[in-house]
Amino acid sequence: MTTIDADAVRHLAEAQVSVELQTEEMTLNIGPQHPSTHGVLRLVARVDGERAFDVTPVIGYMHRGYEKLSEVRTYPQITALINRIDWVSGYANEIPFVVAAEKLMELEVPERAQYIRLILTEMARISSHLMFLAAYPLELGAGTPLFFSLRERERVLDLIESVTGGRFHPNFNRIGGVKPAYGSGSTTRKQSQDLPAGFLAEASDAMARVDAVCDQIEDLVTGNEIILARTKGVGIIPREVVAAYGVSGPIMRASGVEFDLRKTENYLPYDRFDFEIPVGQNGDCWDRWWVRFQEVRQAVRIVQQAVDDIPPSGPLQAKVPKVIKVPAGETYVRAENPKGEMGYYLVSDGGQGPYRLKIRSASFSNISILPWILEGVLVPDIIAIMGSLDFVLGDVDR
Amino acid sequence: MTQSPPESETVASSPGDTEPAVDPLREFADSVADAVNGEAIVAFDTVKVKVPADRWVDSLAIARDHLGLVFFSWLSAIDWANETQAGDPLSEEVEERVEILATVADLSEGKRVTFSTDLPHETPVIDSLVEVYAGANWHEREAHEMFGIDFRGHPNLSHLYLPESFIGTPLRKSYPLLSREVKPWPGTVDVEAMPETGPSTENPEA
Repeated sequence: MTTIDADAVRHLAEAQVSVELQTEEMTLNIGPQHPSTHGVLRLVARVDGERAFDVTPVIGYMHRGYEKLSEVRTYPQITALINRIDWVSGYANEIPFVVAAEKLMELEVPERAQYIRLILTEMARISSHLMFLAAYPLELGAGTPLFFSLRERERVLDLIESVTGGRFHPNFNRIGGVKPAYGSGSTTRKQSQDLPAGFLAEASDAMARVDAVCDQIEDLVTGNEIILARTKGVGIIPREVVAAYGVSGPIMRASGVEFDLRKTENYLPYDRFDFEIPVGQNGDCWDRWWVRFQEVRQAVRIVQQAVDDIPPSGPLQAKVPKVIKVPAGETYVRAENPKGEMGYYLVSDGGQGPYRLKIRSASFSNISILPWILEGVLVPDIIAIMGSLDFVLGDVDR
Repeated sequence: MTQSPPESETVASSPGDTEPAVDPLREFADSVADAVNGEAIVAFDTVKVKVPADRWVDSLAIARDHLGLVFFSWLSAIDWANETQAGDPLSEEVEERVEILATVADLSEGKRVTFSTDLPHETPVIDSLVEVYAGANWHEREAHEMFGIDFRGHPNLSHLYLPESFIGTPLRKSYPLLSREVKPWPGTVDVEAMPETGPSTENPEA
């Protein structure tokens, strides 16, 4: 027997292993249903071992054709449709549209109505972000924050419901103000629906509770090693990529862009309130979590100031004709919605409905980055990254 | 008709801004129009700059590189048609065309510009913006399937929302809304035109 060289043995063994474990690429189909997608999205990925390549999102399962539908609807009917674009913050969707119509009609919305709009918009933001703060740790395997977060979210939704009558689809805004009270038909003197008795005190109370639950969630999540390991340094989006893809909202701010449409556009009187723009450092999943988390606290601040500052009484509806006709013109109004920039390009030819309504929704641009950001990531990171983008498929497909 | 809004009025700027002499939005619009050699329209707080179709990509590249408009907001189109299968026809005749719009913005002061160009109504073709703004990819695919616009140089001009086998361009005015074909609506129970002189709603008071 000849002695075999030890190196040769090892070499032979390695060669055998690599033959046995030779990996083949496969195509992985995720969806059209998955718990982390908040709607129906399909991803087709080429998977080599643990890494995904050429990820192709397939969208359109929720496409309801709102842009076409709005061409055959009257202006007051459209608010009922656009509620359902981003249904997690339905109230906030209505604002840029009614503001666009009011701009073309040159209406001045009464101050109290503007404050009501602002308070409810911020509550919609809080409820949307609390949904994210509940769902995101759950997607990463931590179930507890969900119970804290959804408990307070329910309270906020109850408050929205007490004013508007709807938790998700309020349809509360009217061109020129807010909704007429129950029972006041078009033939009688219209009376706008004011805030229910005790609403402001309850809102103040609910905001204190939201602030408290933020502390609890912070305790649960911030020091959690698993969550930190799953999110820090994962899914980094540089600021140039954010701009080129039109990614907006908290995702953009997590990448270090200090920009918030509430500070630059005048669709609601945000300039009267003190609030900060939370900005992330690295643009990773953790920063996106952290920015939304801080935005809840800032929204709480805004609501608390607005509750103190709201005019005690006054009209809630500008003088509008019975049949709303919007004068000819074109305008683009955009707003800082919970998911990012939401805007409507409204083209009117003077009729009862728009000639063309382009809906710019935040999630559409936000997930158009998926093929870029998911290139070469680990398969489990797909969930961490997609969850951190916090999109709603209704807001993608419209 | 609505191409150039009836009044290019001065814009209600934020309170505290009390100098009526120079409208900052108008000034900004003119500076953009000068830079890209286009025509600026300012109305209702919206700056629209019209450029010729052959300088579409160049104009947006200038906007991105020299005007700080780095944020790609959206791209879409308007079908200006005199006959409609869905929705009310225009109140006045227009020159039939497809107007393509792209809105870009900055990320500091909140400036935004909607670039616009006109394409032939029957065969709209234009160069793709994907090389300038990566985000134009999906927006152009949407405009392609909804309006039938051909984007030259687009890496993957397939359907975005609709199945690949879908025939037609749904956001064209010539495309009927099928549910309305089955059941005409608004009917008698829906909103009817009111007399022009009808009394308007009174200001709500208790």
